[in-house]
Amino acid sequence: MNLEKVIFGFFVVLALTLNFGFFLGEMDNPSHHNVLELFAVIVVNLIATVLKFGDRSQIGAVLLATSLVADLELIAAATYWTFAVHISGTGLTPDVMSSIVSLAGGALLANVISTIILVSETLFNRL
Amino acid sequence: MVASTVDLSRVTFIVMREMRGPLIALLVVYSISIVGMVFIPGIQVDGEVQYMSVFHAFYFMTYTATTTGFGEIPIKFSDAQRFWAIICLYVSVVTWLYAIGSIIRLFQNNFLLRAISEWQFSRGVRRIQTPFVIVCGFGDTGSVLLRGLSDYGMPAVVIDNSEERIKALQLRNYKVATPGFCGDASIPKHLLEAGLKRANCKAVIAITNNEEVNLKVSALARLLNPEVGIISMSKVEVFEETLATLGGEVHIVDPFKTFAKVLAAAMHNPGFYSFNNWLVRDRGATLDRYITPPVGTWIVCGYGRMGHEVNRVLSKYGIKTAVIDPHDSKEEEHIDQYIVGRTTSKTLSKAGIEDAVGILSGTDDDGHNLGILLNARYFNKNLFTIVRQNRHVNEVAFRATEVDMIMQPTLVASRKILFLLIAPLLKTFFRYLLENKPGRQEEMEPIIHRLREKVGRQTPHLITIDFTREKSKAIIQWLDEGKKVYLGDLTRDPRGREKKLDLVVFVIKSGDQEIVLPPEDYEIQENDQLLFCGTGLSHRLFNATINSEYKLFYIQNGVYKPRSHVARWLVKKMNKRGV
Repeated sequence: MNLEKVIFGFFVVLALTLNFGFFLGEMDNPSHHNVLELFAVIVVNLIATVLKFGDRSQIGAVLLATSLVADLELIAAATYWTFAVHISGTGLTPDVMSSIVSLAGGALLANVISTIILVSETLFNRL
Repeated sequence: MVASTVDLSRVTFIVMREMRGPLIALLVVYSISIVGMVFIPGIQVDGEVQYMSVFHAFYFMTYTATTTGFGEIPIKFSDAQRFWAIICLYVSVVTWLYAIGSIIRLFQNNFLLRAISEWQFSRGVRRIQTPFVIVCGFGDTGSVLLRGLSDYGMPAVVIDNSEERIKALQLRNYKVATPGFCGDASIPKHLLEAGLKRANCKAVIAITNNEEVNLKVSALARLLNPEVGIISMSKVEVFEETLATLGGEVHIVDPFKTFAKVLAAAMHNPGFYSFNNWLVRDRGATLDRYITPPVGTWIVCGYGRMGHEVNRVLSKYGIKTAVIDPHDSKEEEHIDQYIVGRTTSKTLSKAGIEDAVGILSGTDDDGHNLGILLNARYFNKNLFTIVRQNRHVNEVAFRATEVDMIMQPTLVASRKILFLLIAPLLKTFFRYLLENKPGRQEEMEPIIHRLREKVGRQTPHLITIDFTREKSKAIIQWLDEGKKVYLGDLTRDPRGREKKLDLVVFVIKSGDQEIVLPPEDYEIQENDQLLFCGTGLSHRLFNATINSEYKLFYIQNGVYKPRSHVARWLVKKMNKRGV
C-alpha cells in the first residue's frame, strides 16, 4: 500500500464529491446552494492541487492541469458571489445564482476528468 | 537528397514540355476571341453604341470555352457579336478538348508515371525518421520478414522488380511505413533512392530469387555505404566466398545450412529443435515435446542442396545413408549406397526402406516430396520424416501429413534474417548452448523448464533492450547519480516486487563482452544490450520500469518514491526512504 496514494486519492475524490454536492439542486435557487459548501470545495480543491505539485511523470502533469482548471472556475464563482452580495449589492438574483452554479458545474467536469485519470492509472498499473 | 530532386525536376520538365503546345493554342485562341469581342460594336443603349470591356470579354470567354454558357452577359449582344461568339465557341471548345486530351495522354505516359512513383517513393523514404532496413525482393521470404518487422515496429523500404508484388505490398496492413518501389534493386540509383546513404539505414537485405542480383546488391551497398549492415541470401558457395570478403558487417543466410545446423543441434541436444521452433513461433510448436532424429540407416531422396547438407550432418554423426537421385553424383565419400533414379517404391525398396529409421524427402518439387512420404510410409510406418516444403501455398497439405520436421527454406531464411535484425544476441546464445563442452546439454534443461513456467502456452517475445539515454532514461539517470542497478532487481514486477516478471534473460552485451545467462547481481552499465524472452506483458512492464524513476525506485527499495513536493518534504522530515 502506498500511503501517498491513499491521501492523494482521498483529496481528489473528496473534491469531486463536495463539488457535486454544491452543484446539485435547482440552478437559480439560492436556497439550494450553500456558501459554506462552496468554501469547502475550494479549500479541498486547493489542497488536492498542492498535492499534485512536483510529480515529474506525464500523468502527474495532466492531473495538475485538471486541478488548476477546477481551481480557476471555483475561484471565479466565489469572486462573483462576493461581488454580487457585498460590492454591487444586486444580491443573489436567479441570474447571478445560475452563473455561479454553472461555473461550479465546469469545475465539476474538471474534477471528474481528474478522477477518471486517477482511477485508470491505478487500473493500468494493476493490469 | 540529390536523387529525389533530380526526379522531381524531371516530372515538372516533362509536364511543361508536353503542355507547351496546348497552352500556347489556348492562349492564342483566347486572346483573339477577347480582342474580337472588345472591338465588335454591341447594341445601342440611349443612342450610344455599347462596347464590351476586356474583363467582360474574358468572363464571356471563360464560360463559353468551357461550354458552361451563362448567356449574353452583361447586356444583350448585337448580331455582329453573336456571329463572333459562334466562331469563338467552336474554336475554343475544340482547343480545350485538345488541351484536355494532351493532359490525359500525358498521365497515361508510362515514363511520367514512373517518374511520379519514384518521386513518391523517395518522399516516403525521407519521411522515415527511425532506423529502417532496405529489403530487396518481396517474395515469400520478404513477405514473412516484413510481417515480423512490422510486428516489431521497424520500418522497411522494399524494392522488387515485379509490379504486382509491389501493388500487393501496398495493400498489406503493416503497422509501420513500408514504401515500395518497382525496379531493379541492383541499379545503384534505386538503392540510393531507397535511402542507402541515410544515417538511419541500418541494413540492406538482399533476398531476391536471383543469386547474382543478391551478390550485386550486397557489393553495391558496401561500396556506397561502408557502415551499413548487409544480409544476403545465398545458396551458392562461390558467391558466399565473395560476400564474406566485402568487409564490414555481412551476414550470409543460407536456409539449407541453417537447417543443417539446427538438425545437427537436434542430434546431440534433444531439446534444441523444439526450443528453436517455439522461439520462432512455429505453428503448433511447444516446449513439452522433444524431437530427436534416431540413429540408424537413413534414406535421402533428392541429392540437391538440401540433400547435400543433411547428408553431411548425418554422416558427421556416423549415420549410414542411402541416396536416391535421378542425377549421378561424383562425390560419394560419405554415402553408403547411391541409387540413380527417381524415387519410386522400387528404388525405395532397393535402398532398404524396411530397415531404415529415417527419410528425408528433399527434392525441389512439393508434389514429389509428398508422394515420396506417402510411399515410404506404406513400407515402414515408424520412419522419422523430414520433408522440404518449397512453396508457401502448399502449407495445408504439408500440415496434414504430420511429419516430424518440415523444412521450408523461405521461412527458415526469413526468421533467421529477422533475428539477425531484432535479436542479434541470439546468435551468441545459441553458439553457447550448442558448444561441444561437457555439461552444456544439461544446462539447456533448466532454461527450457523456466521458459515453460514463465511463458508456457503464451506467445514468446524475443526482446532486445538497449540501455541508452533515449530508450531507458530512468536507468541512465540513476546511473548518472552514481547509484547501481542490478539485473535481478530489473526483472522484478513493478506492480509488486515480490513477484518476478515472466521473462528469462538470455544474454547481456557490455562493450565487447558477452555474458550468457548473466547472474542476478550483474550491474547494468550504460549502453549495455540485453536479450530476453518473455510474454508481451512482461515486455511492457519491463519497459515501464526502465523508463519511470518511480517504478525503478520501487523495485529497488520496496517503498514508493514520494511524488509530490509535500510528500517529499514529509519523508525527509521523518528520515525515511519512501512511503
